Amino acid sequence: MKRILFALGALLCMPAVQAQDIALKGKELFGDMRARHIGPALMSGRIIDMEAHPTDPRIIYAGTAGGGVWKSSDGAATFSPIFDEHAQSIGSVAVDPKNPDQVIWVGTGEIWTRNSVSVGDGLYKSTDGGTNWDKIGFEKSERIASIVINPENTDIVYVGVLGALWSDSDERGVYKTTNGGKTWDKILYVDQTTGAADVIMDPENPNVLYASMWEFRRSGWGFSSGGANSALYKSTDAGATWNKIHNGFPAGDLGRIAVAVAPSDNSILYAVLETEDKSKNGLWKSTDAGANWEHLNNDFGLTVRPFYFSRITIDPRNPDVVVKGGLSGSISRDGGKTFKSLGNMHSDIHDVIFHINDSDIMYSGTDGGVYRSWNGGTTFEIVENLPLSQFYQISVDDAEPYNVYGGLQDNGSWWGPNSSPGGVNARDWNSVGAGDGFRVLKHPTKNIIYSEMQGAENVWRYDVDKNRTRTVQPRPKKGDPDLRFNWNAPMAVSAHQPDRFYMGSQFVHKSEDMGDTWEIISPDLTTNDPAKQDQSQSGGLSIDNSGAENHTTIFTIAESPLNEKVLWVGTDDGNVQVTRDGGKNWENVTPNLVGIPANTWVYHIEASVHGEGTAYAVFDGHTTGDMNAYALKTTDYGKTWTNIISDDVVGFVRNIQEDYESENLLFLGTEFGLYVTIDGGKNWSQFTNNMPPVAVHFIDMQKQTNDLVMGTHGRGVIIIDDISPLRELSQEVLNKDVHFFASEPTIMVEESGFSGSFGGETQFVGQNSPTSARIVYYLKKRHTFGKMTMEVQDMDGNVISTLGPGKSKGINVVYWNYTSAQPKVAEAKTLSFGGFTSPRVPAGKYKVVLTKKNDVYESVIELKYDPNSLTTLDERKQQEEMTKTLYDMVEDMAYVVYTMNETMDYAESVMESNPKAKKTAQKLHDALTALMKDMVVTTGDNYVASAEPELREKMTELYSNVATNFDGVSASDLASFELINTEYQEALGRLTAIMDKEGKKFNSFLAKNDLPEVTLKSKEEFLGN
Amino acid sequence: MKILKTLSILLVMALAVPAQAQTVDEILNNYFENTGGADAWNNLESLEMTAMANAQGMEIPVTMIQTKEGKMMLKINFQGQEIVQQAYDGETLWSTNFMTQQPEKADAETTANMKLQTEDFPSPFLNYKEKGFTVELLGEEVKEGTDCYKIKLTQKPRMVDGKEVPNVSFYYFEKENFVPIMSEVEIPSGPMAGQMSVSTMSDYQEVDGLYFPFDMGMGGQAIMIKDIKLNPDLDDSMFVFPGDADGEEDKD
Repeated sequence: MKRILFALGALLCMPAVQAQDIALKGKELFGDMRARHIGPALMSGRIIDMEAHPTDPRIIYAGTAGGGVWKSSDGAATFSPIFDEHAQSIGSVAVDPKNPDQVIWVGTGEIWTRNSVSVGDGLYKSTDGGTNWDKIGFEKSERIASIVINPENTDIVYVGVLGALWSDSDERGVYKTTNGGKTWDKILYVDQTTGAADVIMDPENPNVLYASMWEFRRSGWGFSSGGANSALYKSTDAGATWNKIHNGFPAGDLGRIAVAVAPSDNSILYAVLETEDKSKNGLWKSTDAGANWEHLNNDFGLTVRPFYFSRITIDPRNPDVVVKGGLSGSISRDGGKTFKSLGNMHSDIHDVIFHINDSDIMYSGTDGGVYRSWNGGTTFEIVENLPLSQFYQISVDDAEPYNVYGGLQDNGSWWGPNSSPGGVNARDWNSVGAGDGFRVLKHPTKNIIYSEMQGAENVWRYDVDKNRTRTVQPRPKKGDPDLRFNWNAPMAVSAHQPDRFYMGSQFVHKSEDMGDTWEIISPDLTTNDPAKQDQSQSGGLSIDNSGAENHTTIFTIAESPLNEKVLWVGTDDGNVQVTRDGGKNWENVTPNLVGIPANTWVYHIEASVHGEGTAYAVFDGHTTGDMNAYALKTTDYGKTWTNIISDDVVGFVRNIQEDYESENLLFLGTEFGLYVTIDGGKNWSQFTNNMPPVAVHFIDMQKQTNDLVMGTHGRGVIIIDDISPLRELSQEVLNKDVHFFASEPTIMVEESGFSGSFGGETQFVGQNSPTSARIVYYLKKRHTFGKMTMEVQDMDGNVISTLGPGKSKGINVVYWNYTSAQPKVAEAKTLSFGGFTSPRVPAGKYKVVLTKKNDVYESVIELKYDPNSLTTLDERKQQEEMTKTLYDMVEDMAYVVYTMNETMDYAESVMESNPKAKKTAQKLHDALTALMKDMVVTTGDNYVASAEPELREKMTELYSNVATNFDGVSASDLASFELINTEYQEALGRLTAIMDKEGKKFNSFLAKNDLPEVTLKSKEEFLGN
Repeated sequence: MKILKTLSILLVMALAVPAQAQTVDEILNNYFENTGGADAWNNLESLEMTAMANAQGMEIPVTMIQTKEGKMMLKINFQGQEIVQQAYDGETLWSTNFMTQQPEKADAETTANMKLQTEDFPSPFLNYKEKGFTVELLGEEVKEGTDCYKIKLTQKPRMVDGKEVPNVSFYYFEKENFVPIMSEVEIPSGPMAGQMSVSTMSDYQEVDGLYFPFDMGMGGQAIMIKDIKLNPDLDDSMFVFPGDADGEEDKD
């Protein structure tokens, strides 16, 4: 006995089982927190490559610059994304000619090499029509220009790797597989600077290939197209040997070459050349399969920006119809001699394809999405459900619902609501700037918006109420040097002085009057390296000085939210500078940075709310070919810095956002999506719930809602609603079986406007922020076996609503639209639509009860009335009482009708088995039937053959109206109620009379014949059913 | 249709979990064998489930009946009225028109696809080889926060808008217990075409020796099973197209 007691004691004395450390990372942290996409799609985004299914004209693919691959199964009426788990920048899409429903190839990395392009990460193949994708290799290829499949043996595939844009690469060249991608041979390679720009195959003879090789390079401050290595090659032995085919071409360097062979005549080739001799640029033609070339045309449309527009498409049925991408796109119907522009659509046409059976139908990929033409390219209409917008920056305001502001690549500047009745539609977005759009900022207190176009050529101050614009860009004064603005020039508004407005050139400019007067408050904060400042010669063979390459400029300005005198500046050439006295003195803290290569672009500085000297800086080296992730934190005004990047992060970083409450919670915008840390950067987890690995260029957090708002460069604005649960995640929470997260009281939003849904069939509609109450909890383990339920109860434990709880491991989010169950409605011939109304509950506290097998977990949530309500509390209470009265009356009637139906059924069955009953039973039945006809509808249907409404219909209609109104009970409602109540009481009186007379007689017949009376459920039983 | 698809997935609890499951057949065997076994599933003739579809305050009672020979009935109850969402007697697929409350036949394509679907009883994975289906283990993935095996199921091609398309779905079997907790199938047509319809399954509970998920989620809507009857007494006439019940109009 003693021993047993001892053992028991020892057991009791043992320390509590040590909680196991749970890694603070991984997909499961986020559970079912999901991102939502609000577009916009009305201006869409850049398309790189269009591809048709070879036999099914309904199927069209669009490979996009930054938004993945989209597939249409309805002839380009609508598209859906099919590549959301992989790199979103696409170079080439190809469909297997033999097995087109299953096998699709995607080469990532866009190939129209402007300054702002994203990067790819290799070649992918799907064998199930695009549902699942395998990476086939070429991880370092960065950009894949061509995928060509041998139609006779589709295991033979050629891939043209354009390769790295900002660095040398030996992964460039033409590759071949003969086993469907298992192994590859490099069959054409020139050097580390020269990539494959176009690879095509003879339509008749798959052993004949053409490849254009392009020498090119981009830096942060310039671009070069062309060189001695650019050339056009032909192989007649399936790629074993290659020969240049330049017969007729001018001597000297060549630039980017586009090449196409006519599908209907393999002797006819077209090429577009960039040469040293301007007069020889443009379209060339060969009628002998490349042996000789003739120059046909050097119109603007044929020579414009070869790096951006080098795609030729030939009508599959007519070798004389030639289309060339360009600023407007060009079409020739005389074999290339003359061209006219394609019909109006968004400018910058990158690819055009013809319908496989009908050349009147064309699909065009532009800087502003996909367009369709039905008349051979004269009229184009836009595809309206491609939310591919490419944001450079976004910001938010504090309106309700808050607005999102942002500037788009080649698509101006915009603002729109994060939520809107019926969803965020195209019509909800407002234009606030032209050209390329970048930063768009709301004045902190006035209804004024600042926006800009490329290189701060214009900075607009837009008065929304008055619909007036004023240009307010800083200009040099007497004695000032030329101002160097970045293409994406920094702007900032002050949190301390609402009218204060900052801009950055090489200097910091400050205005105290919203841009009317400017003062330079810094020296040149850049390296001012003259070697990086001559953009007039940028472009190589074709000068391309758009301003996009302007360098040695300020790129980011951040004012401390805690002290208006503390201002941070980051430059595109690697400087971090800080002032602590409002610009009188600047300290260059660049030498204090740790682990950042010299001159690495300072992409963003976030001045912290957690300390005056605290800031985060992210660095982006991709324009030197450095794809590493860099982010540092300082707490001492830049004297010392700590690395906050872990190995978890893949891809270079463009932005960081801190949480306003938890210093350990940070969000990182990278080239491949969003990463989140909950431990100050020791571990990072990629957020993938409805969040593709799209380039996240800018992140903001809306303070009232705790929404994380992302400006992506290819998928528009993406929002994660209320990230506050992430603040609570800790070892302690993660070790609990169930943890309810604290929640702010939910405002029961009162809105009852209209929203037309016209156009929704084919338009993108952004998802709204839910207005329901959010119940957020953590499960340590996925619940798979046994019952797990969730109820909302009032504080006395009465069940209000039953909810379907999420069962995921990690964070679960359940929404409750603060209604209780709909009433039970009397049975009738047709439905009473008013009876489907679920009444809103009153404001107050409610219990959430989660039952997991035998364990019960409780939490309390609070609902509040809308402070913007037009209703007084008294009126509201009247409305709630009247709703309750009508609800109870509807249910009471349901029970009464039930008893009548049961009684009639019983009377019938008694009559059937006992003919003597007819005398009393029939009378009862007839009397009840007559009454029933006045109580509920007994004929007709649910549409235009419906019967006149009876008492039930009037009662539920009034119930529904009162219950869904936000106002008090009107005199009209009250009068209607009195009428219905009177009629109902009369009906009940008639029923009592019937039961007293015919009912009694029937019952005494039953008693005499030893038959039981009708069995009825109690009202409680009936309603609880 | 979605409800039907999900409700028809019958699942089994793995009581004794082997340390390692490598092949797709091992996973499926675990899933069947440890639960009353494949024999018990093969002996199942029919099923009747009563459920509550819950859409925020609106609770809709649903009854779903399926038989091994391919008959099925899905009906809902609104205000005491039974509305047949789908019924199939092996030949004719029909439903109640909501407006007229009269039965109407489904179009030929939907009916043909329904015929294919009858082979899903009680689970498309049961005897999948004999049915001519193929399964493939695609790998492991985290779903619902937990490690899963991803299995691809390819059934006989179905017709979509006049064209034959592959009939592929994906199932995620929780590694820890070998039961499916999620399925995905591409929506073939309509406004959501091309997107994935995702269903989740949980609350597996035993009914006469077989385990079924009692909670299914589809696109934010929860379907809670209240009761499952195995091999209930059924009147076959309920599956048959009733014709023009009120004689108001000849629907043929």
